[in-house]
Amino acid sequence: MKEIDIPIEASVDRNRTNPLARVFDELVRFCRSRSMFMLHYCTGCGAIELPPAMTSRFDMERLGIQPMVTPRQADILLITGYVSIKTLKRVILTYEQMGSPKYVIGICSCTVNGGMYWQSYATAKQLDQYLPVDLYIAGCMPRPEAVLEGMRKLMDRIRSGEADGWKDYYRRYDWYLGNQQHLFGDDWQTPADVIGEASHYDLAGPGTEGEHTRLLQQCQKPLEPQQTFFQIGGSLEVKGESHE
Amino acid sequence: MSIQTLLMELVLMPLVAFVVGLFMVLMLRRIGAKLQRRVGPPVMQPLYDIVKLYGKKTQISHGWMHDIGIVMAVGGYVAAETLLPVPGMDGIADKGGLVTLVYVMMIPSLGLALGVGQCANPNGSIGIARALTAMLAYDVPFVIVVFGVAWYFGTTNLVDIIAIQQAGGVAGWGATAMPLLAIAGLFALQGMLGKQPFEIYIAPAEIATGPMVEMSGKYLGGLFVMQCFQLYTAGVLYVSLFLGGGENWLFFLLKVFAVVAIPMTVAFLFPRYKTEQMIRLMWKWPVMIGLLGLAFVMH
Ligand code: SF4
Repeated sequence: MKEIDIPIEASVDRNRTNPLARVFDELVRFCRSRSMFMLHYCTGCGAIELPPAMTSRFDMERLGIQPMVTPRQADILLITGYVSIKTLKRVILTYEQMGSPKYVIGICSCTVNGGMYWQSYATAKQLDQYLPVDLYIAGCMPRPEAVLEGMRKLMDRIRSGEADGWKDYYRRYDWYLGNQQHLFGDDWQTPADVIGEASHYDLAGPGTEGEHTRLLQQCQKPLEPQQTFFQIGGSLEVKGESHE
Repeated sequence: MSIQTLLMELVLMPLVAFVVGLFMVLMLRRIGAKLQRRVGPPVMQPLYDIVKLYGKKTQISHGWMHDIGIVMAVGGYVAAETLLPVPGMDGIADKGGLVTLVYVMMIPSLGLALGVGQCANPNGSIGIARALTAMLAYDVPFVIVVFGVAWYFGTTNLVDIIAIQQAGGVAGWGATAMPLLAIAGLFALQGMLGKQPFEIYIAPAEIATGPMVEMSGKYLGGLFVMQCFQLYTAGVLYVSLFLGGGENWLFFLLKVFAVVAIPMTVAFLFPRYKTEQMIRLMWKWPVMIGLLGLAFVMH
């Protein structure tokens, strides 16, 4: 897939009448940078450097970084190493469940350019083709110092408002979706309505919809209530329905 | 008391509780850090977390009950704060009394159950089922303790209970007069705060934080606020029942923080029990100690 250049217009600032709005924005940005909940979802071997970064030796908590267990609660998605194609599907699903503003950090060379798995048939090579990556931490594997240094960098970027990869995902959704379809096939779909979200946040641009989102709409199957089965004493019984 | 002072107290008491609660959350995390030989979070960290959560762009609501559940969870504790006398402010404590307070303190769990029920997440439902089971477990010793204290002082009015204790000095404190009930109370406190070994309903590694699993943005922020209130309420109630309340703010806060530090310190030394183990333990030891204490008190 060739990278296409889509001009990104600056988001029009709503006319804010409150004189304290700027102060308030500054405060929220500061708090966002000082309180980052990261999702405990480790993909590759680079994850092994996270426990030392979190525990006594390097202690991430003093920077306000805390592990959280569900995507709903988290702000940062750490991709710690190679992502196989199967994992990437889960990663994208997870990413779309997270609440904005959300940030993606690619740790390890494997997320930058495929690393030593370059020739593998089963891994995605460049993470930023499928998800908007805010920060890469290169290395095979990066040491905890490097991880912390990267986190500090992300803090600075959040504080100055530069870390807005999540907006990019909405603005150029068609391109990201195209790359995802290229990998997973034309019938790839997620439960999240990204286009609807984009217009909700006023982020829908010329790149939000395109040929790939049209393909998605063609192939989209409506969500069906999922049936849960419990096996009780040999006979299979339908016990209930859960709705998505 | 004029209506203005009353109104002012009703506003001030939850506010003070929130600020003190923030520092308690900080203490909780700092104690954990110290025990693990870490530095721990900066002083304002609990506030950063809450502001950030309320400032999230995405706020996912799962419906009306979800919204109302969170309001009930926080509101129940706000109501409880106005029933807890603090130095200089009684609020409506002498009108409410201990029984109302115990009743009001159950509302947050029920509110949470309603809210989480609508999220339709199996982990959340398991978490709530466990939370209510845990409530069943720790409420038995808790009620025994409250009953014992009320019997001993001959009143359910918290203002009077504190006044009687303060009149007798340290020798008049509930903990001196009823040491067994005070110990049973500590068990109930541990269960009430949901700290290890009774952390069955949060259990991050097992059921993904249970009730909090679908909470994001301001909903999770609401639960963080609730945690501040929860720590404060439990601490102040224990101090009012057993440690003579507060003569002035300095001693009051010292006592409250000391009491809350106990479950937190214990928490980091234990793994987690299973649900049935918790019930067995709660209905055995604290109930036995509590009943023994009750026998001494009523004798
Ligand atoms: S960069 Fe090295 S350590 Fe990281 S995932 Fe790839 S092979 Fe593993």
